[in-house]
Amino acid sequence: MFPVLAKYRQAFLIGLQSNLVYRWNFALRGFFSLFHLVVVFILWSAAYEGQTTIGGFDLAQTMTYFVVLLMMQFFIGAFNEDYQISEEIRNGLINQFLLKPVNYFLYRFSIFLAARLVSGLLILIPLAVAYPFLHDYLSLPDEAWRLGLGLPAMLLAALIQFSIAYCFGLLTFWFLEIQGFVILSLAVESVLGGQIFPLDLMPDWVFRLAQYLPFYYQMYFPVAIFTGRIDQALAVQGLGIQLGWVALLLVFNHFLWTRGLRRHTAVGG
Amino acid sequence: MLHHLQIWLASARYSVTRTLMFRFDFFLWATVELVWMGVNLLLISVIYGHTDSIAGWSKYEMMLLVGTAMLIQRLLFGFFWSSLFDTARNIRSGHFDFFLAQPGNVMFMTTTRKLDLDSLVNTFVAAGVVIYAAVQLGLQPGPGDILLYLLMIGCGLLIHYSALVLTISLAFWITNAQGLEGSYFTLFEFSRLPRQAFKGAANVIFVWALPAVIVSNIPAHTLLHGFEPRYALWLFGATVAWFALACTVFNRGLRRYSSASS
Repeated sequence: MFPVLAKYRQAFLIGLQSNLVYRWNFALRGFFSLFHLVVVFILWSAAYEGQTTIGGFDLAQTMTYFVVLLMMQFFIGAFNEDYQISEEIRNGLINQFLLKPVNYFLYRFSIFLAARLVSGLLILIPLAVAYPFLHDYLSLPDEAWRLGLGLPAMLLAALIQFSIAYCFGLLTFWFLEIQGFVILSLAVESVLGGQIFPLDLMPDWVFRLAQYLPFYYQMYFPVAIFTGRIDQALAVQGLGIQLGWVALLLVFNHFLWTRGLRRHTAVGG
Repeated sequence: MLHHLQIWLASARYSVTRTLMFRFDFFLWATVELVWMGVNLLLISVIYGHTDSIAGWSKYEMMLLVGTAMLIQRLLFGFFWSSLFDTARNIRSGHFDFFLAQPGNVMFMTTTRKLDLDSLVNTFVAAGVVIYAAVQLGLQPGPGDILLYLLMIGCGLLIHYSALVLTISLAFWITNAQGLEGSYFTLFEFSRLPRQAFKGAANVIFVWALPAVIVSNIPAHTLLHGFEPRYALWLFGATVAWFALACTVFNRGLRRYSSASS
């Protein structure tokens, strides 16, 4: 058991080192994300003028949603894993994994975890700088169960994020260029994942339908648990559905990998 | 002038031929942009499902503003984005030498080389959004108003172009500022907000210091409320100032360029 984990631990450590090299890129991206937060604040402040709540939540609760969302994007969001996997397939770098006792999914997932650890910790710096301006608009619930359910939801959301990126990366077995598909999917994921606006502001039937799609669980779900937008019963039920989506995506990833390898031609080293 | 127009037409012909060779890519990217425009409109629709006004702007006024911002963005992407993005990369890699040997103004040659037809196709969709919003608002602009609006869109395009030239010119000084031009997307988000929503420091930075807000707000305001000389002067003045600054900084940077080692 432990020797098996040891090789992925090494992959994690290598991922940590290589991502620390790009710390300034992450920091720059984090800084520009603060501009996005400014846009969100200006837009929603203007929308709240003349009313205390929108969709049952006040301005502080909505701003808290977007701040936690931003943190979550840097802690669990897939950045460019799809392109990295695509590049490794196109350049033939995956050939080495076909000859070694290394599971490619686990190898890439270990690197993904390392990358998100670095980017997640780095986003805390611009957020700490912005905290004096933000603290009046932060309103986090203090129920302990939210942490107990939110953390596993966050981990499963990371798995869904990575699995979807992995699927798109594997499309390189069939298509030379995947960028268009990725950005198209990003639009759907952003809307149905609650990254453009809180999903609960959608008409009720759309919100209920979204709860059966994987996108709901890749970002909105953990953020909604942490920020008090969903209750305990819905959170427990959601965890079950989220687990189901993780299992389904893992099976689908394996299917794509085995079918893709049949089309793959390894040339040279 | 005519000479540069002939060069631009030759580049445009090349871009069209290239697009026809990669038809699937064209349809895919046109769809990608269309969907993202839909996302922006959806955000407006969702917020107005819960409120009647954002900073005094009604739903269709806001839609007209967002449509105007999208129109400028599509034109920028269609005419300049790829070339500008390549320029920064070429400066870093040394491939910029190729443009120095070309028979025309360097800034013109390097920033107008490629057309993205998928973005240009979507300008019609953005224009459709503006027209739809105008019809819903019962606006009946005369030919003069429409001409002025289009002129202001041209100014907005030139301001964005100038700001992007300034951003990529940084590559002459900072060779490892890779990806900075990609972050320019963030500034577009401010263009979709009504000017009245900006208060305090945000008003000073994004309305007065940076041109992010006025490029879309002044044309939209003109279409909604008619010609106001002070706003028109503000926009035209900003266009001249930003374009002059972009030309100066680009040419200064050009003097520093020393091929691959730049």
